[in-house]
Amino acid sequence: MTGWLAMQRTLAPALIGLAMLVAGPVMAAPKQIVADLSNSRVDITSSYHGTELLLFGAYEGMPGDDIILVVQGPATDIIQRRKAKRAGIWVNVETKIWQQAPSFYHVFATDDLSSITDEQGLGNASVGPLSRGLSFTSGTDDSGNGHGGGTPLSSGAAIAGNPEQQDNLRRNMQANGLWQVLPSSIFTQQDMLFRASLSLPSNIPPGEYSVRVLHFRDGVALSERATDMNVRKAGLSALIYRFAHDYSALYGIFAIIFAVASGWLAAAAFRRK
Amino acid sequence: MYIYLPIAEVSMHIGIIIGLGGGVGFLSGLFGVGGGFLMTPLLIFFGIPPAVAVSTEANQIVASSVSGVLAHMRRGNVDFKMGAILMAGGMIGSTLGVALFSFLRDIGQIDLVIQLSYVVFLGIIGALMLTESLRTIIRSRTPGAARGKLHQHNWLHGLPLKMRFRRSKLYISALLPLAIGAFVGVLAAIMGVGGGFIMVPAMIYLLGMPTSVVVGTSLFQIIFVTANVTLLQSIQTQTVDFLLAGLLLFGAVIGAQFGSRAGAVLRGEQLRGLLALLVLAVCVKIGYDLVVRPEDLLSVELMR
Repeated sequence: MTGWLAMQRTLAPALIGLAMLVAGPVMAAPKQIVADLSNSRVDITSSYHGTELLLFGAYEGMPGDDIILVVQGPATDIIQRRKAKRAGIWVNVETKIWQQAPSFYHVFATDDLSSITDEQGLGNASVGPLSRGLSFTSGTDDSGNGHGGGTPLSSGAAIAGNPEQQDNLRRNMQANGLWQVLPSSIFTQQDMLFRASLSLPSNIPPGEYSVRVLHFRDGVALSERATDMNVRKAGLSALIYRFAHDYSALYGIFAIIFAVASGWLAAAAFRRK
Repeated sequence: MYIYLPIAEVSMHIGIIIGLGGGVGFLSGLFGVGGGFLMTPLLIFFGIPPAVAVSTEANQIVASSVSGVLAHMRRGNVDFKMGAILMAGGMIGSTLGVALFSFLRDIGQIDLVIQLSYVVFLGIIGALMLTESLRTIIRSRTPGAARGKLHQHNWLHGLPLKMRFRRSKLYISALLPLAIGAFVGVLAAIMGVGGGFIMVPAMIYLLGMPTSVVVGTSLFQIIFVTANVTLLQSIQTQTVDFLLAGLLLFGAVIGAQFGSRAGAVLRGEQLRGLLALLVLAVCVKIGYDLVVRPEDLLSVELMR
């Protein structure tokens, strides 16, 4: 990818010269897009409650061009459960695991996605969390009938699921704010500059993110640029998290000692009054 | 001001956390209960993952039980021998409970089991407390009514391994408190409670302990059971949120102070009646959530 971009970059001036020679100044040159984030590192500290990042850049556009921006979080397995009524109460009866799905997927655009390009165009540009074909394992845990319990996650894998299952996953992930499509959220100036304000939610999963910007004309992606973003726990919240995971027994003992000490202190304060 | 809870991985307003601690602390001071049965469902309601709510609440109950038991120890209201037997049972029970919790979480049924345990046990205990306090109130208004027997003998007193509990004035089989401790231990681990609301009636009605030592002894053994849950959950599931527990604790300490003052104004049977209504309200709310059709039948969770 970077090789391709680099080649394009070195070829661009030559091609522009060539194009001008052949067709004069009206002919468009291969389009370059550049972009940067106001901050490529997001620290989840104790006071973190979502944050705003600014993505800005420049492109060689024409009136009617569009830009799509994709912020994609680390791949993870998503467990999806379905409830059904059993003996009068609502119980989880079915489990699906979507494998290697993006934990976070926000799409920004200059317009509605449907008026920028069609399904085909989005698919070609790998836009859409399900565009790369996820696979999932599913299992039925029909505890109401007393069979299948214990190994609900086994059984075979299917590719990507049917459209209804994909819609269900999309709806669930939108409801918790992790997958979003935000039309008309990129602002352009004179078909040269663009900017978008990325609002990251408080429940953002930590990890390595990729931020891709794509320049669309007539439904086709002309050029693309990707940059990295790192979301990580920091400060006290990172310290507690690391302590809990790396020294879990010690953490437990520490939590108990802290509780006993504060209970003791509270009782002493009570008594004096 | 929002605070990001590192283990729960959610951001919550610090006022809500301390307010929850204070509110539940007030009620626990008022009624002389731990308040876990209120706090754990409330934490889940405010978006804390159930596993984190249960484990963190266990950690917080360690603190509230320590501060509660000290007052009872000064008055000599703790039967340490009985407490030790209950605790031994509680250790076994809570260890099993944590294992059961992990298993249920893996098969995706932990929420259901937590909710069902709440409905069943809060329903039973709430109904018993309500009828008992109503009966007491009615009896106090009809002077000269007959009193029940202080303590009855049944088959439970025929079990082997009899032990003498001087402080409780009892000579009973050690198996009985051991079994009760184990049973309550399992529930404590699954429900994220200390289990006092089951332990106290069990001590009075099943063991026949005098009411004066019941609360102190129950608190004494709760410290060890919840400490065990805290340690095991820390090791096995890493779901104890130290920051959340600390903030809840801060609110609870202050709330309990006001609660116990307010409690001194009300009469015992009135307090028990109010507590019964509160317990039943929590039971009904959770039961309602189980029977009403969820907005979306599908739900997702990211694998960590």
